[in-house]
Order: sequence, then C-alpha cells, then structure tokens
Amino acid sequence: MPRLSGLQRDALSLYRKCLRACRLKPADTRANFYIFMRREFEKNRELNKKDFGTIEFLLRKGARQLETYESPGVTNIAV
Amino acid sequence: MFRTAVLQSIRCAAQAGVRAAPRVQRPAFKTASFVQPRIPAISAVRSYASASSLSNDEVTGRILDLLKNFDKVSDASKLVPTSHFTNDLGLDSLDTVEVVMAIEEEFSIEIPDKEADAIHSVNQAVDYIMAQPDAH
Repeated sequence: MPRLSGLQRDALSLYRKCLRACRLKPADTRANFYIFMRREFEKNRELNKKDFGTIEFLLRKGARQLETYESPGVTNIAV
Repeated sequence: MFRTAVLQSIRCAAQAGVRAAPRVQRPAFKTASFVQPRIPAISAVRSYASASSLSNDEVTGRILDLLKNFDKVSDASKLVPTSHFTNDLGLDSLDTVEVVMAIEEEFSIEIPDKEADAIHSVNQAVDYIMAQPDAH
C-alpha cells in the first residue's frame, strides 16, 4: 500500500470516528447509520487526490455532520 | 416521598459499605465476634502480572475467523495468515479501517490512528496484537 498523504489519513481518521459513533447508536438502527456514512464517503471516492480545496471542504462538512448525528438525541436516520 | 426513601436507602447502603470495609482488613486484636469470616483471597485475586495467555496461533485464528465473516472479502480462498488486505483480499482503505476496528473490538483494545494506519495485512495485525499486553 502506498504511503498515505496527510489528507488521506485525515479522511480515514474521520471514517474511524464515524464508525466509533455508529457503535453508540441503538442496535436496531445502527445499520442505517452505517449505510448512510459509507454512502457519504463513497460519493466522493473518485475525487482527484490533488483536489485539496474540495477534499478539505468535504472533510469539514463531514466533521460537522458527524457532530450533528452523533448527538444521543438522533436515534435513526433515513437511508 | 419516593425520593426520600431512595436517598435513605442509598445512605444506609453507603454507611454499611464504609462500616464493612475496615472490618475486613482489621487484624484480629478485636474480639473474635467482630472479625468477619475471611474470604479465601485466591478466588478474588487476578494476576495481572501473569503473561498474556494469547498464543500466536490463537490470535491468527481469531483474526481469520473475523475476516471470514466480513462480507467484503472478495476471495475467501485467499484467506491465509500472510494475506494482504488490499492486494489479496480486495479490500479498499475504508474496509481496512473497518477490519482494524473489528480487530480492536475482538481483542478489546484501542489502536491509535497512527498504528492502525500501519496495519495492512493479517501478519501485521497478529504482530501488533501479540505486542499488546492487555489484548485478550
């Protein structure tokens, strides 16, 4: 596996945080959160890795979304 | 009414706990009736210093089992202790993160990001787990 760039590592770190947040969700709706999260990441899979501005924006957007959805009040998500 | 009852019972329990604790440890210079029957110490002692009971084979087996149940592994026949997550098993980087997280859960440890990014094959995962004293 080639060495990862800083941004790639950030993306994986965000993914890891999302997975950890998924685990805290109620067992019956956890799969929905997982599908949603995975889909959000897959959407931008084909992005050029040199497209720093876009990636940084998406990372910030993802972090903000994670903050919203990880609140314990959010118990389900539409997929 | 209910709250006072609850508070009272908690207070009672707390006092009982405080009273009971020193009594156990007090040496026998008090009258014998105060000395509680001694609980066999061995049963409650966990030997944290003893060597980790995980063997290399056991760790490998558990990781392979975990991968076997992971539905994104494209070719289960390539599942051997030397397989590389990306090259042999056809996992992408996100899947690799998931596998490492699953390994974390399996052995009840937490792998820091930096070390988790360095795990790309079954072998590396086994080595990492074997190096962790608190993995079980």
